[in-house]
Amino acid sequence: MSYFFQIVVSGIVVGSIYALAALGMVLIYKSSRVLNIAHGQIIAAGAFITYFLTVSIGMPIFFSFIASMIITFFLAMSVERIFLRRLIGEPIISVIMVTIGLGSILDGLIYLTPFGSENFSFPAFLPQEPLSLGGVSISWTQLVGVIITFILIGLFSWFFKKSTIGISMRAVSDDQFASMSVGISVPKVFGLAWATAGLSAAAAGCIIGNITGLNFDTLHAFGIIVFPVIILGGLDSILGAVVAGIIMGLIQQFASGYLDGNFGLNGTGDVMPYIILLIILLFKPHGLFGIHEIERV
Amino acid sequence: MKTKKSLFLNALLILVIMFAFTASANAGGKVYKLGLSLAITGPTSDAGNPYSKGVEDYFKFANETKILGEDTIDCTIRDDQYKTDITKRNFEDYMDQGIVLYLNYSTGSTLGLKKDFEEEKIAVIPASFHRGNLENSNYIFLPVASYSEQVISLGEYVANNHKGSKAKVALFLHPSAFGRGPLADTEAAVKAGLNIEIVEVVEHGKDLDNTAMLTRLMSKGVQYVISQTVQSPVATMLKDAHRLGLIASSFGEEGKITFLGAHYTGGNDLIALAAEASENYFWVCSYNLTSENNEGTKQQLALAKLYGRDEKAANSHNYANGIMVAQVSTEAIRRVKAAGLEVNKANIYKMLNGMNGANAYHPYTTVGPVTYSPTDHAGVDMLQIYAVKNGAFKKVGVPIQSEYMKKIQ
Amino acid sequence: MSANSWLATGNFYTTYKQEQKTFSTSLDRSFFTLFLVILFAWPLLFEMSNKNMLVIDNILIAVVAVMGLNLVTGFAGLISIGHAAFVGIGAYTVASFCRTIGDTHIIITHFWPLMIIVSGLVGAGFGAVVGLPALRLKHLYLAIATLSFQMIFQWVINFASFFNQGQTISVGRVFWVTGKVGRDDHYFFWYYIILVVVVLLGFGIRNLLKTRYGRSLIAVRDNDRAADAMGMNPGLTKVYAFALAGFFAGVAGALHAYVYRGVGFESFTLHESIGYLAMAIVGGLGTLNGSFWGPVAIKYLDLQMEHLSEAMGQYLPSGMNLTTAMKPFTFGLVIVLFLIYEPRGIANWWRIAKSYTKLWPFRY
Repeated sequence: MSYFFQIVVSGIVVGSIYALAALGMVLIYKSSRVLNIAHGQIIAAGAFITYFLTVSIGMPIFFSFIASMIITFFLAMSVERIFLRRLIGEPIISVIMVTIGLGSILDGLIYLTPFGSENFSFPAFLPQEPLSLGGVSISWTQLVGVIITFILIGLFSWFFKKSTIGISMRAVSDDQFASMSVGISVPKVFGLAWATAGLSAAAAGCIIGNITGLNFDTLHAFGIIVFPVIILGGLDSILGAVVAGIIMGLIQQFASGYLDGNFGLNGTGDVMPYIILLIILLFKPHGLFGIHEIERV
Repeated sequence: MKTKKSLFLNALLILVIMFAFTASANAGGKVYKLGLSLAITGPTSDAGNPYSKGVEDYFKFANETKILGEDTIDCTIRDDQYKTDITKRNFEDYMDQGIVLYLNYSTGSTLGLKKDFEEEKIAVIPASFHRGNLENSNYIFLPVASYSEQVISLGEYVANNHKGSKAKVALFLHPSAFGRGPLADTEAAVKAGLNIEIVEVVEHGKDLDNTAMLTRLMSKGVQYVISQTVQSPVATMLKDAHRLGLIASSFGEEGKITFLGAHYTGGNDLIALAAEASENYFWVCSYNLTSENNEGTKQQLALAKLYGRDEKAANSHNYANGIMVAQVSTEAIRRVKAAGLEVNKANIYKMLNGMNGANAYHPYTTVGPVTYSPTDHAGVDMLQIYAVKNGAFKKVGVPIQSEYMKKIQ
Repeated sequence: MSANSWLATGNFYTTYKQEQKTFSTSLDRSFFTLFLVILFAWPLLFEMSNKNMLVIDNILIAVVAVMGLNLVTGFAGLISIGHAAFVGIGAYTVASFCRTIGDTHIIITHFWPLMIIVSGLVGAGFGAVVGLPALRLKHLYLAIATLSFQMIFQWVINFASFFNQGQTISVGRVFWVTGKVGRDDHYFFWYYIILVVVVLLGFGIRNLLKTRYGRSLIAVRDNDRAADAMGMNPGLTKVYAFALAGFFAGVAGALHAYVYRGVGFESFTLHESIGYLAMAIVGGLGTLNGSFWGPVAIKYLDLQMEHLSEAMGQYLPSGMNLTTAMKPFTFGLVIVLFLIYEPRGIANWWRIAKSYTKLWPFRY
């Protein structure tokens, strides 16, 4: 039985990290209807900036964590300003492709630095001993990761629900023209959406980097890995991203816990989310929490 | 459109050829062209990057110290991002340029281009130690013992040092040709009498958490996990095992798991990634490690210093790996010259095949001599087992050679 | 129509049938014939190295694949991020035959045209199945569904022992009427085969677009509900767009298998899918000639970057990172610049050039 609970706990841990990684994409989609495929690269950039500040400059890891969130905040904002602003109103394929191109450009830029290949790792700053509760164990790294995830998600939910800027961002996502007419600056909202997404990406990068080590390939793959999560969550719902993240984490852990090694199957953890996603999409074409849009001719 | 391009390409080609001629005329000696195609970016680039540096540095060193007299080696290095298509293009390009020896990298492309190597009759030294490279092929020379041999000798080490009845072993593999290489051979060795039981074969994905897998292995009574993959998945697994308190504090501790791994699973990166969880990790490798600080590694560090490589690259065993391949290539060319033969594909192939017995070659980077013969295309047959002690890989015993590998061949 | 069949300075069509002619003037036809003759003749005049011939073959294979992608994404407006998987289906169809009957079996080596068609049909079958979600999904959700297909394809190939777990499955050398195609002639031989395939399929698309089946694709792209109201069947159209794309991709895959004489899963990953999309966009979505420009531009850029990197590498001894960074950087930059400044792709330049020459020397 403790095997079962261990898998549940691991699933929740992995799932909430997925949720954090997905959060940035949801934020961008929520306000500007752009699916950012370059998110993985921003995650990697955030992680490497933290590493650089901690190891090369010698800042305490907590400060460099904050600093890298601030840096990616502005980085993502300028990315939006330079590339995405010009494409407002273009067809969906152009916008997807621009983020793909953007991802490729960021790839190139990261290859310019020493971080493009090889492995790096953060200096250990958390206790190495695991926490154990009734046969179920969780590491400090994972626990802190989960806590940060939930703090950030809580903050963003509050931000969207209560703050004026958050409400104006929701207004923009609902109807751009209407929100313009009440005096909301749509470009500013887009910029801000990207910036907050950058911030959450840096946080995700640091947490993932702390678990897997810093490797560019591993980190930027997360941009793709979280696709099932955001689609399942319905693209524009923060709560949806959290629930979907945890569902995906559980599916993955259960697949690798119970399917792998049996029936001659292996590596099912990587593919199961996509299979489940495809099945769910057939029944709920807008994800679990997505808004069903009404189309008119 | 195409005519224009072909014209342009032709013009380019002519320019390049003219350039090459003038360059060789200036140098005085002959220029031998070699080609290396490897993953400097993309999957496994953490190994490919220092590897390329090793190759580049040693050829430069060989040219500057005039190991081949007035003649020089011109080795083109190209990134293929671990894609067989690009490797094939690079290979065709190198062949057009008239290379005399080809250096390859990935398992996938070495297997994929095997037929081309046969048809072109060109000797190839890949960085992949996959045993499948040697099946139905005469021109591929592995630098060191194959992955199969590495995993089997780890199995032998387990069988010899395990206390109690049959040791229960799980294999942790990379989900690719590279990872699966040793599986069939290890199973054959077990059938041939190797005293271990393979309980489970795991192919890992991009896991953030291996708890499920590790607890499952524990419940099946697995005491040893032998890995054949790259460093970062092993590090993640080790960290999870450490968290769960599963890592044996000494080899074969009862009720715990001892982790072991083949060439690409170990190295300094592993220690950096897994920190104290890497303690007591057993690793098999044919190279001298800088943590052992012997004559060979001093030369390796001196070479790295000469060309301004950073600490990390200099101490990487994949840097040593690259140097060694360049050393073998240079030595083969030197021997062809010394024998008074023309340096071409056929003669290099002949020299490599004759690299045995009294003619065995002793590079400073490896724990044993490089021996090739028409029937044995695995270079260094000796394997050294290392274990992490206090944050550094230290030798365990003397270099060994696998017994069961000979039985199953 | 004007009396002069060589020069037409305007639109003189009086019937729809005239408008549907492939070549509007005899001049067009002559030019096109000349162009084809050049395409077929030049390899005989210029000696090409194996590598360059391989590059050209590779471009032409990409042209076949991108024509398919253009049908589904450009004409029918259904974004497919799994096109490389369809190409993979074609290649693995050939590979499956090699696995079951041996890679030098007479069917593989002598009846290869049949194999190519079979691969196309298998690709079409898979395309239709993957197109089924298009009945319910739209836009991004559909794009992600195709991404799922890509991922599932990669997983199946990578783990199924029948497919050699993604390791290269070799394909034997083929025979032509003159005997076995050897190493020296291999790429040269396949250049002609692929060229014939490209020309046939190109005419196929051109004619398809003049029929109701082709026009229904565009109608569904522009507004599927309106198309429905006008009596088309959008669901069926979408599925058949995917099937067509699958056919083209399958043919491209089979050609890839034969040219590279082996099938390994690295050639059909998500990265390649994105590459095909990039080619379609740079070439010009929803145009036939864009399917030719795109692959040429992207592959040529890739190659030139490699040359440039090497030239720079001589001056920058340890600048390996700089040189390997150039490829993804320029690839991304080209996509972004095209989308921002020329969203209609190179095909638009072609259109402008054509309309300019049509009116020349008069400006209006």
